[in-house]
Amino acid sequence: MTFVDFLNLLIAALLLAGIYAVMSVGMTVIYGVMKIVNLAHAGFMMMGAYFAYELYQRLHLDPILAALLAFPFFFLVGVAVHWLLVRWLPHSDRPTLQSLLLMFGLWLVLQNIGYLIWGNTDRSILSPRTLALVHLGPIIISSLRLVVFVAAAGCMAVLEIALSRTWFGRSVRALIQNRYAGRIVGVDDEKTARLTFGMGIAFAGVAGALLATLYSFDPDFGRPFLLRAFVIIVLGGLESVSGVALGALILALVETFSILFVPASYQPAISFALLVVVLVVLPGGIAGLWAKRRRLA
Amino acid sequence: MTTAVFAPSRLEARARLVLPGLLLVVLALLPTAGLTPNLIRLLFITFVWVTASLGWNLLGGFTGQVSFGFAVFYGLGAYTAALMIDRGVNPYLSFLGAALIPALASFFIGLPTFRLRGPYFAIATIGVSEATRVIMNNLAITGGASGFRIVEHRPFRQVDHYYTALAMAALAVAVSFLIQHSKFGMGLRAIKQDEEAAADLGVNPYAYKLAIHAVAAALTGMAGGVFARYAAFIYPQGVFSFQTSVYILLMPVIGGIGTVWGAVLGGVVFGMVEEQLVANFPQIHLLLYGSLLILIILAEPDGLAGLLGKLFRRLRTPR
Repeated sequence: MTFVDFLNLLIAALLLAGIYAVMSVGMTVIYGVMKIVNLAHAGFMMMGAYFAYELYQRLHLDPILAALLAFPFFFLVGVAVHWLLVRWLPHSDRPTLQSLLLMFGLWLVLQNIGYLIWGNTDRSILSPRTLALVHLGPIIISSLRLVVFVAAAGCMAVLEIALSRTWFGRSVRALIQNRYAGRIVGVDDEKTARLTFGMGIAFAGVAGALLATLYSFDPDFGRPFLLRAFVIIVLGGLESVSGVALGALILALVETFSILFVPASYQPAISFALLVVVLVVLPGGIAGLWAKRRRLA
Repeated sequence: MTTAVFAPSRLEARARLVLPGLLLVVLALLPTAGLTPNLIRLLFITFVWVTASLGWNLLGGFTGQVSFGFAVFYGLGAYTAALMIDRGVNPYLSFLGAALIPALASFFIGLPTFRLRGPYFAIATIGVSEATRVIMNNLAITGGASGFRIVEHRPFRQVDHYYTALAMAALAVAVSFLIQHSKFGMGLRAIKQDEEAAADLGVNPYAYKLAIHAVAAALTGMAGGVFARYAAFIYPQGVFSFQTSVYILLMPVIGGIGTVWGAVLGGVVFGMVEEQLVANFPQIHLLLYGSLLILIILAEPDGLAGLLGKLFRRLRTPR
């Protein structure tokens, strides 16, 4: 492998990491605040993909713009789902069997709605940007992936600002750290949970819409990405937003460079193998490793 | 109801022993009553599902460890039986293999993953299951994507299959009750309620989980094996699919998680409904399962068995 090949792969991995981070961060905030493992995330990603598809097909909207429009739309969907279903779950500071199964049921429903509306044929979004390339000397970058990366990085930046600068963000961080202490100092946990759920679903929608510009999709679209999102948030330590960025980068690097060593038919097993290895070796994620170091020091 | 007034507990205890036996006798006599082959097939499939449901219930219901990866055992059992029968081994012996190989595999899966708790374990099982499916789909021995046809050199008799499945389901019920009423079962319940407290009381959660995982895997694998012999054609994307894991998990949850009869009821309802659904509404069966799951989780976490129990108590207590 030449140095240029290496650089090409490295850049491809970096660009992939952006979208991976957006796709995982929604699960992270929901888990952090509500201790719910949102399996329905996959369903909302799939819905996001079709959202962008419909806007592109019917209104000829730019798919990237459609992805950004997915944010408010899926935010409202998320708030509605929380109001309808999630708030009835018993509160717990640990993930419960019930919440896991509820979100799983929701995923099945969403998937079936997808099959009913769009059938099981593969769809894809082909825009003029799909095949365009940017040449930087010997390095070739897909301009679509570049744009998707910029959009994804923008989303992450907005989230970071929202979490660090706003009252809502402060409530979210308080509840992630300690739900009871948060309530004692006056955090409205119901409202924060509702908004957090909306935000988590909104990120799922955006991620799905962005992924739809890169890959073809069908109503089972979310599943491989859901598992990747698991790997990422487990790497990142489940509750930390900066951990997600790091986890996304690691997974993207492993996946991208593994094409050199692993036959293509075994590719789908890589992220899952990584998941099991990470879960066993580093149950607290990378952040957990750091915390352990700090405690030891 | 009048007898229940003076000897409720003894009568109930006796009914608890007699009724399952009666059920077994009725089911054993059914084929002689001239059922259509289609009905026998439906019952056969139901017994297979009931067995898998009871297997999952041992780990998920008794011990509280939710696994999304039971298709691994179902698939391994199916392929073990298929390969053994294909090589001329007696089918009943092959079912033993279909129980042993998954039980062995359960250790390889459990040794790393049971170091994880709660959602981490559940997530890891999705990973294990997906990885297994991908690998199996690429192995030559499974026939890969084109599947595996089982050639059995003896005449096909549907009634044999029926009795095999019935015996297997009865075995699964018996095993479940034995475990439930043993000291081992009490330890499992303690782990479900509070793992740390259980460990303080001298229960080794890690060893207990590994043990029950193996039993659950054996039952599920045997169900896969019995199914494979009947189907005579299996393929990795079918028996190892995520869908299979979903079905195996759904049954005990629908029926009533953590109780033996709940898991049986779930298997029966699922077996019957699945057949009718796939025939009549193939396009909305996920929607129905999903809605049912949501409804049960929010309205009646104890499942259909819990609902029936409530109705029964309401009928019995005079207002």
